[in-house]
Amino acid sequence: MTLVRQAYLLLWKDVLLELRRRDSLLTMFFFGTLLLFVFHFSFDLAPEKIAEMAPALLWLAFLFTGTLGLAQLFQAERDNHCFDALLLSPLDRGALFLAKSGFNLVLMVLVEAVVIPLFWILFNLRSWNLLPQVFLVTLLGTIGFCVLGTLMSAITLRARARELLLPLVLFPLMIPVILATIRCMEEVLHAGHIGEAMPWLRLLLGFDVIFLTAGVLIFDWVIES
Amino acid sequence: MRVTVDRLAKAYGFLWALRELNLELTPGECIALLGPNGAGKTTLLKLLAGLITPTSGSIRFDGVNFARGAAALRARVGLLAPSDHLYENLTVRENLAFFTRLYDRNSAAAAIETALAHVSLAGRAGDYVANLSSGMKCRLSIAKWRLLQPELLLLDEPYGVLDGGGIDLLEHFLKQQCAEGSIVVIASHHVARVLGLCQRALVLSQGRLTFDEAKRQPWPSFDRAFGEFLPQGGS
Repeated sequence: MTLVRQAYLLLWKDVLLELRRRDSLLTMFFFGTLLLFVFHFSFDLAPEKIAEMAPALLWLAFLFTGTLGLAQLFQAERDNHCFDALLLSPLDRGALFLAKSGFNLVLMVLVEAVVIPLFWILFNLRSWNLLPQVFLVTLLGTIGFCVLGTLMSAITLRARARELLLPLVLFPLMIPVILATIRCMEEVLHAGHIGEAMPWLRLLLGFDVIFLTAGVLIFDWVIES
Repeated sequence: MRVTVDRLAKAYGFLWALRELNLELTPGECIALLGPNGAGKTTLLKLLAGLITPTSGSIRFDGVNFARGAAALRARVGLLAPSDHLYENLTVRENLAFFTRLYDRNSAAAAIETALAHVSLAGRAGDYVANLSSGMKCRLSIAKWRLLQPELLLLDEPYGVLDGGGIDLLEHFLKQQCAEGSIVVIASHHVARVLGLCQRALVLSQGRLTFDEAKRQPWPSFDRAFGEFLPQGGS
């Protein structure tokens, strides 16, 4: 059974479990929208200032909601020692990494698909034509977050107080992704097109490719140790 | 499959759970793994299953070292944990479909239905595992390993949650596995029952293998050395 088929099987299982439990998606969705309302009532800024702050505020919301998702990522495996059942199986551990990263990506993209337009509405931004480019940049940043987040989530899997430990370990390592994504979005919103953001976009793409490849290769070692 | 355990040791921090263990397991053997609590039975099962790595020594399957990452070897080993290793929010049928696909075994609906009928769970195929009793989960685990057909099947305290019918079912399954050439290792405190099924007994005490003999009747060496494990003072 190939790596991709195994990853697809695991992803199918995770999606099915989430459709039945709905705890991760609902928690992330409500937390993300709640943060937007907090921002909305906290900042009394002119629309042009908000456009400058939009990338940072949006990514603040995505970081916190994404971390909630990561904390729940291996919950199904923690119940009933199912993680042992997976370790016992002939599963390629790289497939487990791909599936878990992919599952978290699906959850975050669904949340972002609601949170970004809601941000535009709440802060009365008029640049609706830039949304596809904002989504593209957000997607690349989210891939980086999910890939690195899955690795860190696996590392802290058996740690005590892992919900506290996970962001402490993850956020410093996420700085290149956060920086590149926010700069990229700033360029898009400022210049009105993605052309100016190409150097940051390349950095983001490079980060995604490097950590995705590294994750597939070292995940076996990560979960064994 | 022939399993060779050579000078196997496992330490958790400064505590040695297993020391200098040497074993040879041959195809078709049914082995009772006995010993008091904390003797190292579960540690040995986990090492044989590849869930933990040894501190020193090695486990070889047909001469091949069972080191980390050995996916092909892992497919040949099964660990039947009575109510564990099943996804609670998947149905009985979905659990079997998931694991048979994961092991690249026959995941056809007919094969799954037959396995469920064999353990009297055909009527519960659409139920979530969370809604099953512990005994039923154990029956489902039997159905799972019946479909996955491991060459080395490890069992950790399988009798605790099963009723009379379930125990008959389990023992019939284990006899069938041995007849087909699989090795079965059962760790249990139900000494009389497990000795009734197995042809060989291993006894661990404080991480050391203190007894390893083929069963015979009468068995004075076992009765003499390990009489305290027997509920009625005899094997």
